[in-house]
Amino acid sequence: MLTLRTVVATSAGLTLASSSFVAAIQVAGFLAGDSAWLAVLVGGLLCLAAGACFSELNGILPSAAGIRLYFGRAFGEKTALTVSMLYMLIIMGVVGAESFVLAKVLNQAIPRVEPLVWIVILQVAATLMNIRGIKIAGVFQDAITYGLMISIILISYLGLKKIDFELAAPFVTGGAGSLFSAVAVGIFLFVGFEWVTPLAEEVTDSRLISRGMFLAVGLLSVVYSLFTVVAAASVPREELVSSPVPQLLFAKTVLGDAGVIWAVVISLAASVTTFNAGMISISRFFYATARENALPPVFSRISMRYLTPWVSILAVFAVGLTLSVIILFTGKYLVLVNMAAAAECAVYALAGVSVLVLRKKIRDRRDTFTIPWGPVIPVVTTAVFALLAAGVFVTDPYAAVWTAAGLGLIWWYVHRIVPVLKEKARASRAPRRRSRAASGPAQGVVPAGPASDVDPDKV
Amino acid sequence: MATHQEITESLKAFTEGYSKNQRLKAMNRDWDRNVLVLADDIESAHTLVLKDGELSFSEGKTVDPDLTVISNSDTLADMFFGDITPTEPYMNGTLRIIGSEDDILRLDFISLLIWGE
Repeated sequence: MLTLRTVVATSAGLTLASSSFVAAIQVAGFLAGDSAWLAVLVGGLLCLAAGACFSELNGILPSAAGIRLYFGRAFGEKTALTVSMLYMLIIMGVVGAESFVLAKVLNQAIPRVEPLVWIVILQVAATLMNIRGIKIAGVFQDAITYGLMISIILISYLGLKKIDFELAAPFVTGGAGSLFSAVAVGIFLFVGFEWVTPLAEEVTDSRLISRGMFLAVGLLSVVYSLFTVVAAASVPREELVSSPVPQLLFAKTVLGDAGVIWAVVISLAASVTTFNAGMISISRFFYATARENALPPVFSRISMRYLTPWVSILAVFAVGLTLSVIILFTGKYLVLVNMAAAAECAVYALAGVSVLVLRKKIRDRRDTFTIPWGPVIPVVTTAVFALLAAGVFVTDPYAAVWTAAGLGLIWWYVHRIVPVLKEKARASRAPRRRSRAASGPAQGVVPAGPASDVDPDKV
Repeated sequence: MATHQEITESLKAFTEGYSKNQRLKAMNRDWDRNVLVLADDIESAHTLVLKDGELSFSEGKTVDPDLTVISNSDTLADMFFGDITPTEPYMNGTLRIIGSEDDILRLDFISLLIWGE
């Protein structure tokens, strides 16, 4: 059984990534003065509202299927599948951006090894870990997450001392528009904190999940605020904003050459949990989608040796590597950060609507968590996050174009290809129950399943 | 609506399919679990017991299950007969499984290896 400490570590660990430093600095880039903390804090508070919606949804429909189930019940199967697929595709992009950022950090530490080589090494290592079923969890997850947070607070404190920092203009944002854009991108800092909700069945008291999420968002808000404000005050802002490795620039300024080692260790620790959780979640999603016949059956192949969906894992590797290479050659890593921020905003907005719809649809609710003040918080969550998603797209038209293209493609796939796949699967399956009922239970003859057709042990 | 007897038949088919597959037995050698199967529309409870790689089942409840599978009788019968995959009802909320994510996945792997894709 998981403890509150591990729930907080899991929730926070999923969001703490190397690319989070890039997003944090982008937040500072939108704002004047030392007001980055304000945007991070507002983003955190908004995520708490979204977290409340997820807690209620998990109470209504407790299942590891998460948004796939909530949105399915609220909006229908096709919409749920479309949104889930798009979300997973964008998270794959985040994994690609993550390996790009980490490769850049490692390349600064060991310049002889090109970023492309690092990307391949990192992704192959993460893929092999996943195929072997190695999972970062429990005490190890706790150590990484809390160690990361303490380390970031410590270096921020050293930075404060070094530049003799004084908070001169904590509320000077440069205008409401700037604050709005900063908050919108700042949502990326919390991407995935709600992924801890499926663990509801693994804790002694399901309320621990809500508490853990809220604590994680609170802790992350403090850590990110401190890092962003101090880093933006220590290093020229233009230099930080245009760099894919702002944490390294900041660490070098504070610690000198030792800062490179700090940045490498911190980035590796931040990325390892993101790679692990990201790749496991995406590959399991691929597997589950194939099992419900919405993807070709090949994606449901499993390794008998390691009990992992190896084809799905390899597919994630192939897409992730392709995206990383595209990012490496185009330098458009921020597009993926913005797409992820917008997708997260859209998912949170839909979560708010789902709460309202499911409150009406499912009235038979036992003693589960209900957000106080009736529809206020879900309505505010929906309105604010929908606006923030639109704000990200206005700020970054590339992100809007790519998201629209992805949405169109997936919409077409779900409406045209999935029905064909489902029909094919239905036709190929012999109805054992009906045939058995017709022949009578006394015969007890059960057709042998095509288990021998499955030859997954090819890893 | 399926009957309790039909669910019993489906679990019989499931355990027979399991015992024919040596690789499945090897795979679950160290995975000892009690799985409670409950119908929510009729009075029906079964317990699947996985011990040392062998699978058996009995009618009635177990006290402390590692996994609890809850659904309507039709879905349970169809699922254990292999007429539907567990994922479809799981994703639309018809099927509820209480247990760790890894255990839920393992149960689906078993179903896949018995009944195929």
